Amino acid sequence: MGVGLALICTLLLAASQVGSDAVHWRPPGTHDQGSGSFWGLQGDPDPGSGWRPREVQTGGSGWGPLGKPGSDWGLPGGLDHGSNWDPSGSPADAKGSGATHPLFFSLDYHHVQVPFEITLWIMLASLAKIGFHLYSKLPSVVPESCLLIFVGLVMGGIIYGLNDKSPPVMDSDIFFLYLLPPIVLDAGYFMPSRPFFENIGTILLYAVVGTLWNVLGIGFSLYGICQVEYFSLQDVSLLHNLWFGTLIAAVDPVAVLSVFAEMHVNEKLHILVFGESLLNDAVIVVLYKLFQSFSEMPSITTLDILAGMGKFFVVGIGGVFIGLLFGMVAAFTTRFTKATRVIEPLFVFLYSYLSYLSAEMFHLSGIVAIIACAMSMKRYVEANISQKSRTTIKYFMKMWSSVSDTLIFIFLGVSTIGENHEWNWPYICFTIIFCLVWRALGVLVLTFFVNKCHVNTVTRKDQFIIAYGGLRGAICFSLVFLLPNFPRKKLFIAATTVVILFTVFVQGMTIRPLVDLLDVTRGRETSPTVSEQIHIRFLDHLLAGIEDISGHWGQYYWKDKLEYFNSQYLQKILLRDYDQPKSSIVLLYEKLERKHAIELVEAGQLVHAPASVPECHSHEPATVAMVPAPLDQDLVDNIQQILATNLYKIRRGAPAYNRHTLPGETGAAEEAKEILIRRHRSLRHSLSRSDWERAVTEKAAEFLAHHGYQMKSKRCQSLTVGDPRAVPDVKYCRSKSTCHITLPKFSGMEWVDEEETDQDQRL
Amino acid sequence: MGSRASTLLRDEELEEIKKETGFSHSQITRLYSRFTSLDKGENGTLRKIDNHLPWWQMFTCWISREDFQRIPELAINPLGDRIINAFFPEGEDQVNFRGFMRTLAHFRPIEDNEKSKDVNGPEPLNSRSNKLHFAFRLYDLDKDDKISRDELLQVLRMMVGVNISDEQLGSIADRTIQEADQDGDSAISFTEFVKVLEKVDVEQKMSIRFLH
Repeated sequence: MGVGLALICTLLLAASQVGSDAVHWRPPGTHDQGSGSFWGLQGDPDPGSGWRPREVQTGGSGWGPLGKPGSDWGLPGGLDHGSNWDPSGSPADAKGSGATHPLFFSLDYHHVQVPFEITLWIMLASLAKIGFHLYSKLPSVVPESCLLIFVGLVMGGIIYGLNDKSPPVMDSDIFFLYLLPPIVLDAGYFMPSRPFFENIGTILLYAVVGTLWNVLGIGFSLYGICQVEYFSLQDVSLLHNLWFGTLIAAVDPVAVLSVFAEMHVNEKLHILVFGESLLNDAVIVVLYKLFQSFSEMPSITTLDILAGMGKFFVVGIGGVFIGLLFGMVAAFTTRFTKATRVIEPLFVFLYSYLSYLSAEMFHLSGIVAIIACAMSMKRYVEANISQKSRTTIKYFMKMWSSVSDTLIFIFLGVSTIGENHEWNWPYICFTIIFCLVWRALGVLVLTFFVNKCHVNTVTRKDQFIIAYGGLRGAICFSLVFLLPNFPRKKLFIAATTVVILFTVFVQGMTIRPLVDLLDVTRGRETSPTVSEQIHIRFLDHLLAGIEDISGHWGQYYWKDKLEYFNSQYLQKILLRDYDQPKSSIVLLYEKLERKHAIELVEAGQLVHAPASVPECHSHEPATVAMVPAPLDQDLVDNIQQILATNLYKIRRGAPAYNRHTLPGETGAAEEAKEILIRRHRSLRHSLSRSDWERAVTEKAAEFLAHHGYQMKSKRCQSLTVGDPRAVPDVKYCRSKSTCHITLPKFSGMEWVDEEETDQDQRL
Repeated sequence: MGSRASTLLRDEELEEIKKETGFSHSQITRLYSRFTSLDKGENGTLRKIDNHLPWWQMFTCWISREDFQRIPELAINPLGDRIINAFFPEGEDQVNFRGFMRTLAHFRPIEDNEKSKDVNGPEPLNSRSNKLHFAFRLYDLDKDDKISRDELLQVLRMMVGVNISDEQLGSIADRTIQEADQDGDSAISFTEFVKVLEKVDVEQKMSIRFLH
């Protein structure tokens, strides 16, 4: 623990030394620092700097290679030369400064400066994450986002202290183009589509109408506050207030996701808050651009306002359309990737990112586009690609979104320290108050309408959590820096910072105890079983039929129509093995069986020793079903029990849209280990009885074959080591080599081949 | 259609249906017009009975299986036939409006204010248990209160499509029974069925908000 912390601290300092270098260079085109040397759009058409090595090199404002005279060194950033510092002041340079004689060992920092710093920041973020989890109690009290912001604050403080200038502010471009897409993609790809579409009406209502309500409410009330002479805020116009209201009303998906992920509330609540935070992006984009154009126009007519509203539909629907387009193309592409399995995951990422960028290019909503792309593509792509690619995609997405998430919060922390704030306390306090009040009112009113026309009611407790869970985050922050440079901008920056810190710290930390206190329905923790899936599908069909009979066009009617369209047209074009369209019941069944097969293999030689029966039976109580055995009762009973227990054990797992754990992993490793230990123990016992075993296995195989339970017999063969003649090998082929899976060749199930070649099972 | 239908239903009959099924006035009249629109011959005219139906003949207005099968979407619903059968009482070939409403009553959403009242009276048709019973009866064709492997296989075959081999379907059926079966009889009884669906929000899933 101590070591970890020490490591973190050293890296902190190192990074700060180095980081401040990066920060302080500026492309020579823009003016030099005044009070805040931050990167970032200052509302000029001049694109933000970010990390742009090329520009720096062409600048030549004293940016030179090694050998710069030593006076420019000193604290990195060159304090003495206020406006003329240059980025070459890295310590290493200075050491060799003025050196004209070649050393045996030379340092060329500027060559790798940019990637080096980027990597260091990411490394710092990840190490911080490890550091938190070393204190086991901490993550349960304080959500990770808070801790990361705190680290950022510390780092910002250090940089500020060292340089006496404001630390770097997160560049809006970097945020919107690089940091945000992975998170949204991860969210969209693993979004459970059934609850999402079942609640889509409610979600849209909250996202569109709710956000509008918040914007107008906050904007007008703040304008009212500004009218009060006492606060000396007279010069903040209505337009600016509304504009500020737009960016502060945006519920942030990043913050919501990170806080709710650790909470495990019930699915519907999660999807409502989360869906709203994603879809309100369309509204925010439109309103922001609307107010931006208004601020540049001399006068505003009603026609402009109406045009703005029309634009909203264009933005939202356009985003969806672009997303669907790219999604379909991606699905189509994966149809042909059978020969190039290795790059399959790449297509998923490329197409999603392209859809985001294209939408941004047309000033449509990028977030909506990328969500639509991911959701539409998922079904077909997953059917076309190999199992390994699926795993790769899952891991990469989770990793990238995790890194982005961490970086965003750290940068948030770093950027809050500095001199770009104007502290007008009344304004700030009222902003916070209005945010809370208007959100609560909005949720209340809208839920009233929702409950009237929907079977799916939202309870009072849920309403409270929805209202309280409206966290603001990095999107607001980036948007405020994109504002043009009018005199009161710093006021807005300060207010945004305080609101974000308030929501993340106060609301983020207290929401979990509140959830416990209010006893909100928690999420179910078991993964769906095949029978549930079947029955749910059955009910779907039933309800669709009843809706048809009663002439009612409800959700099942539309769902049915979509399914029909899908099976008639889409599947033919987008799926590779069209002649084998698989229903999701079969897919789920195959997935579960595959998991069990892998687990069987990993847990090693699973038994034919009855001595282990009592142990394993007590271990998995709920899932045993004994098939009656007419033959030699005890022995065969035991075999049956073993088979049943081991075959049909249901895995527990967290839902897949939780970023912090991957589905299907909780607890399974321990179970497998325990099984392994027990097996080894019993195996040692049973080694002396190999002859008896052979008789037993033969009988078992015979019995099962006789009763035509073909699936089980396939397992039985694997369990009995392929064939009875291999039993003597049991002594030394302990774990993997003894499991020979000979599956009957189901058409289209190519994963069998992959498993076999992977594990190299053949005896 | 709406106004004409309302003159066809006398208040007493409306009250009776309302008490039995719990639907509101407007819902019943709307469903009645739907019912009468189903009862049409191929030429678009009523087969036997005139469209100006006086109220006392309301209970004698029947629809048969062919009328249901004329609904196009139902023809491509995998469970179409079974659903249609569920409307017809045991052994009969025709159903009247009362029976129609009785079946549809299972799908009325459960209102909060109903949950507490009338604990001693008969269970309302749209209670969770009755909804599940309705679904169970659709599986259990031979009405022995158990879903056997064969019955499950039949349903699976209808829902899953023709391209899955029998073998695979058999294993899926086996697995389903295994997951649910607790008393070891290789069939799913009603209590086991309820247990499997205990995590599913059946009240919400098996409800249609009939428009007013």
